[in-house]
Amino acid sequence: MTLDTRSTRPGPTPAATRVPTPVRPAYKKRMRLADTLQTLCVTSVALVIALFLADGGAADFGTAADTLTSIGIVTGLVGSDLLLVMMLLAARLPPIDRAFGHDSAMALHQQLGKPALYLLLGHAVFLIGGYAAAENVNVFAETWSMFGSLPDMPLAFLGLALLMAVVVTSLVVVRRRFRYEAWHAVHLLGYLAVLVSIPHQLSVGGLLAEGTIARYYWLALYLGVAAAIVTYRFVVPIVRSLRHRLVVDRVERIAPGVASLTLTGRALNRLRADGGQFFIWRFWSHGLWWQAHPFSLSAAPTNDSLRITVRALGDASADLPSVARGTRVSFEGPYGIFTDRARTAPHLVLVAAGIGVAPIRSLLESADFAPGGATVLLRSHSVGDSYLSTEIIELCQRRGAELRILAGQRPPRGGSWLPADAAAARITLATLVPQLRYSDVYVCGPRRFTDAVVRDARSAGLPTRQIHYERFDW
Amino acid sequence: MRTRAVLLATVASVSVLGIGWQLGTQSIEASQSLTASGNTASTAGTGSTAATDAAAQAAEAAAATAATAQAAEAAAVAAASSDTAAAAQAAADAQAAAVVAADAQVAADAAAAAASSTAGQDGTFTGSVVGTRFGNVQVSVTIASGAITDVTALQLTADDRKSVQISARAAPILRSEVIAAQSANVQNVSGATYTTDAYLQSLQSALDAAGF
Repeated sequence: MTLDTRSTRPGPTPAATRVPTPVRPAYKKRMRLADTLQTLCVTSVALVIALFLADGGAADFGTAADTLTSIGIVTGLVGSDLLLVMMLLAARLPPIDRAFGHDSAMALHQQLGKPALYLLLGHAVFLIGGYAAAENVNVFAETWSMFGSLPDMPLAFLGLALLMAVVVTSLVVVRRRFRYEAWHAVHLLGYLAVLVSIPHQLSVGGLLAEGTIARYYWLALYLGVAAAIVTYRFVVPIVRSLRHRLVVDRVERIAPGVASLTLTGRALNRLRADGGQFFIWRFWSHGLWWQAHPFSLSAAPTNDSLRITVRALGDASADLPSVARGTRVSFEGPYGIFTDRARTAPHLVLVAAGIGVAPIRSLLESADFAPGGATVLLRSHSVGDSYLSTEIIELCQRRGAELRILAGQRPPRGGSWLPADAAAARITLATLVPQLRYSDVYVCGPRRFTDAVVRDARSAGLPTRQIHYERFDW
Repeated sequence: MRTRAVLLATVASVSVLGIGWQLGTQSIEASQSLTASGNTASTAGTGSTAATDAAAQAAEAAAATAATAQAAEAAAVAAASSDTAAAAQAAADAQAAAVVAADAQVAADAAAAAASSTAGQDGTFTGSVVGTRFGNVQVSVTIASGAITDVTALQLTADDRKSVQISARAAPILRSEVIAAQSANVQNVSGATYTTDAYLQSLQSALDAAGF
């Protein structure tokens, strides 16, 4: 079972040209959905600029003051639109999850944070500048008079301050200093920031004045986003948790600080969960109920049970392996496209390290392949210290999947994901899996490991659609 | 993003922006004609009010004169017929008619005096000019039988196309709100904050002058 790197024949050098693989209808359907969503997103930005133009905005660039004011209006419109897009991305909308997966949606959410804040800061700066220039007063006097004489402006300034707090606490450097819960509490203020900024948009902005179509569109946009958030972040998870009545049935310690939890409930088929997906779990026991954790399924779901394998982290999840039998569990999910549904190629390659073995195991169990149609690569420090390795071995034998265990320390330099001796012998993903270019590669493990495997797959000429990975550290 | 998505998004965005641009051009043209007609209309408006008043006064006076003339004619006819009783009656009629005419003249004079002085309760009162960053605002208020019956905007924020558009929309809303509330304590018109503030300030000064 151990890979003997010396006897592995060096494979052919990977061709730079991409080999076309037969594309599955499910993939086409998913890409159509993705194209539609991306088009909607970009067009929503164009649409708010069009509202400005339709109001005759193009004529308002005559003087310096007018130009500043017009730029301020446009940045405000686009910034607000991006905020709404960000909220939708975080709202767990089923179409977004189906098309991109939760982690990609959250990655885009994160990327949009700074541009949105800069646009809204620009909105404030340009409008203060524009108004000050028109009235011929200095910017401080103008800001002061805005506070005093315009309606709803104190609230709008409050919204901007809250938004700055949300973005600053989300910067990687700053975020590391906070507990997840503290960061999340600040992050939820983002909703308040959006809420308190609405009144000034409707009362001060001439563009969204009463009786205009723009005002109705704007209100519909906000109501739609609010409805999506309430439905998919609150109503659906609560209804599902109540309906399926999940409780902890068995806790099996498989290593120090690592346990498999079997949860039982009713009519779980209706969740349409798939191997490789994750849920956000909340265990209703003393000391645990206030935290929610994302954990992947580590076994294919059945009609009455779900199983997860968890590794205790520094926080309260350290108590998870000792959670009592019968503890009630509420959940959000299932989420993610780290599943068989995302397949595009005939062969299947599963690469796992650390606790990343959990979704790989459930994926291996539920994926559709003929004997010989899958390769599993388990990466660990020494042979046999992979979690769930006995289960994986048993599954590979039963389903006819090839298993390779790659054990050993990583080389200190070079960013390889392989053991030092394998890396020195120039072993790559392509040499380990001869049919790589006809494969879908699924990778799950620590961030650096995942990045290294993805790099390896890309340099072997594998197109993006054949590389699948999920990140948990969003 | 895939090429298809980029193409779709570009086509959709460009068409949306194009439609917005076209609508904008139309609205600019419309509001330019609005600016022109708006100015004429407001002048014509004040002009027509004055004209109506003058016409009413003239008509009244004319009616009075006609009544006097008729009575005088009757008196003359009666005198010619040398019917003393009839002549006396006609003379009395003529005299009464003259008195009525005189009374009408007095009443008209009194009304004019009331209108020109600011101490009275009824009449049309002009508010102070309030400056804003978008132009000056001034309104006049008409009070009849102790109630606000009309508010006329003499000047509205009109520094640029946008301001004209905004004030043209806000003025009728403010006028009806003021007449309904019978005071200057009405709600801000959204998107026309400067106009609203100045309008109500000018209105309040007019109401103060009227002792309303």
